Amino acid sequence: MNVAEAVVLSTEPAYENAFVTWFASEALARRREPGQFVMVHCSSEGCDPFFARPFSYHRVDGDRFALLYTVVGRGTAWLARRQPGDRVRMYGPLGRGIRLPRDRANILLVGGGVGIAPLVDLAETAVSRGHQVVAMMGARTSAALLPPGAWPKEVEYVTVTEDGSAGLRGLVTEHVGAYLDWATKLYACGPAPMFAALADVLRGNSRRMRPEILMEERMPCGWGMCYGCAIFTRRGVKLCCKDGPRFPLFDVF
Amino acid sequence: MTASGTFSWGFEFAEHFDIEALGAIVTKGVTPRPRAGNPQPRTAETPLGMLNSIGLQNVGIERVIEEFAPRWAAWRVPVIVNLAPDRVEDFGTMARMLDGVPGIAALELNISCPNVDTGGMEIGQDPEAAAAATRAAVRNTDLPVIVKLTPNVTDPVPVAKACEEAGAAAICAINTVLGVAIDIERRRPVIPRGRAGLSGPAIKPIALRFVWDVAQAVRIPVIGCGGIRTGEDAVEFLMAGASAVQVGTATFANPRAPLDVLEGLKRWMESHGVQDVREIIGAALPKGEA
Ligand SMILES: Cc1cc2nc3c(=O)[nH]c(=O)nc-3n(C[C@H](O)[C@H](O)[C@H](O)COP(=O)(O)OP(=O)(O)OC[C@H]3O[C@@H](n4cnc5c(N)ncnc54)[C@H](O)[C@@H]3O)c2cc1C
Ligand SMILES: Cc1cc2nc3c(=O)[nH]c(=O)nc-3n(C[C@H](O)[C@H](O)[C@H](O)COP(=O)(O)O)c2cc1C
Ligand code: FES
Repeated sequence: MNVAEAVVLSTEPAYENAFVTWFASEALARRREPGQFVMVHCSSEGCDPFFARPFSYHRVDGDRFALLYTVVGRGTAWLARRQPGDRVRMYGPLGRGIRLPRDRANILLVGGGVGIAPLVDLAETAVSRGHQVVAMMGARTSAALLPPGAWPKEVEYVTVTEDGSAGLRGLVTEHVGAYLDWATKLYACGPAPMFAALADVLRGNSRRMRPEILMEERMPCGWGMCYGCAIFTRRGVKLCCKDGPRFPLFDVF
Repeated sequence: MTASGTFSWGFEFAEHFDIEALGAIVTKGVTPRPRAGNPQPRTAETPLGMLNSIGLQNVGIERVIEEFAPRWAAWRVPVIVNLAPDRVEDFGTMARMLDGVPGIAALELNISCPNVDTGGMEIGQDPEAAAAATRAAVRNTDLPVIVKLTPNVTDPVPVAKACEEAGAAAICAINTVLGVAIDIERRRPVIPRGRAGLSGPAIKPIALRFVWDVAQAVRIPVIGCGGIRTGEDAVEFLMAGASAVQVGTATFANPRAPLDVLEGLKRWMESHGVQDVREIIGAALPKGEA
């Protein structure tokens, strides 16, 4: 973990109510694993709001990294107003990220909502190591989708919208079945109901894939000090920030 | 030093920073048996602070002795173990178990946890129970025994004096202040138990009031705790009569907080020509009573 001030390079709208902010900071960008996160202080001075906010690495390029976030409250609204040159205090990288398989794998990524944020970094890393990647991304409607251009071109990209306004209609978990024979490894990030549905789909036939998920919990500290982010798993109580955010799907659901 | 429950067992900090720079560390609250802690949500952010209801999640005293103490023994920084059993007599049992264990420098009795159903804060609200807990611990160990007070009483002096008479080596003030936050969309408390413990800069004036009152009433040292975030905050506590301070919730927001407080204090002393902290301990108290 490094405590640092990152310099804002740009803030752009990504889709409905979501933004991508690029930062420069060698201390924070280097040596992260996909799926790790940073704690970002969303205030210029002092300490209001008091706690930093956790965000996954969305993309990393040398000494630069991007966060993708939806504006849901004060902190994210503040972040979306950052201009190039602004300095933002943060600490990271934190948590246990994803260790990709050593052998070439057929990797299926399943994302819902803003859960796509870390999956883009994961896809870029996986592609660069020669893995085959299919990304299935679910959103409420077409306006809430990250443009396909944000993904590496080697990735086969499948869109699912609840209202059918783009790609397949329904929930991602209703469509993963089509890829289960192909996939040898599955990673997912999204809301808890998506994980529960995914567990139901995978339970019978696809345990061999050892699906892994990136989880969220309220995180006051992000580095194992407060015990606020407990996740109740089949292997006991774990801390989302320190033991996770990566967990085996079937340890939790 | 660091405040209990805000520093885990010290290993995370030691991985990233120089733990030997600290005066002492206080561990998470330990119970006789392992505890899983409370369900989610366990925390709520509040103006300049937080509510917590962690519920004393910990591995239990046996694993603390077997697994953690040997690692602490390799450090020079003194490690103070915070004890949080739910029965008065268990303070004695636990103190005996920790007596003479290498790596443990002192005990801090948590008679002030608001987030469990039994024991905890009830003991700290009753001078007789507090004295009994202190006596039980003191009789069973040669380690110094610090007693940590709850602010959820009108007057802390009777409890503090009772603990002093029962043999406490120091008093720590304060634990968290009872509070509630409401989720207005769901018309429910944010924390399932309703009441939770408030900490952070929001409680600093309350903590200072307790230190102020207790420091004038007892002869043993008082350790100030509550909302400390900067060197200047520490100076305030020292002037209110504290001999040492603990940094708690500030560490969540700023991983370097305990070091920043220490460095800030040193800078303040240098710029004010203060050579020794003893020069300012109790400096703001009414004359003749400190
Ligand atoms: C490991 C991790 C990675 C994350 N990565 C991303 C990311 O890449 N992109 C992104 O957009 N978001 C991400 N999040 C979520 C993000 O941290 C929150 O959206 C952010 O903290 C909200 O801050 P705010 O100040 O805008 O909202 P606040 O004003 O703090 O909160 C707005 C509302 O959301 C509730 N809330 C806040 N956090 C949580 C939570 N964790 N669980 C349940 N309710 C909550 C609050 O109680 C409040 O009602 C991640 C969270 C975690 C734990
Ligand atoms: C998440 C959390 C957990 C805590 N756990 C303990 C504990 O186990 N034992 C204890 O004596 N105090 C515990 N406390 C209280 C703190 O040690 C401290 O007394 C209080 O938070 C006030 O100081 P602060 O404002 O600097 O945090 C806890 C506080 C927090 C925020
Ligand atoms: S957020 Fe504090 S322990 Fe995980």
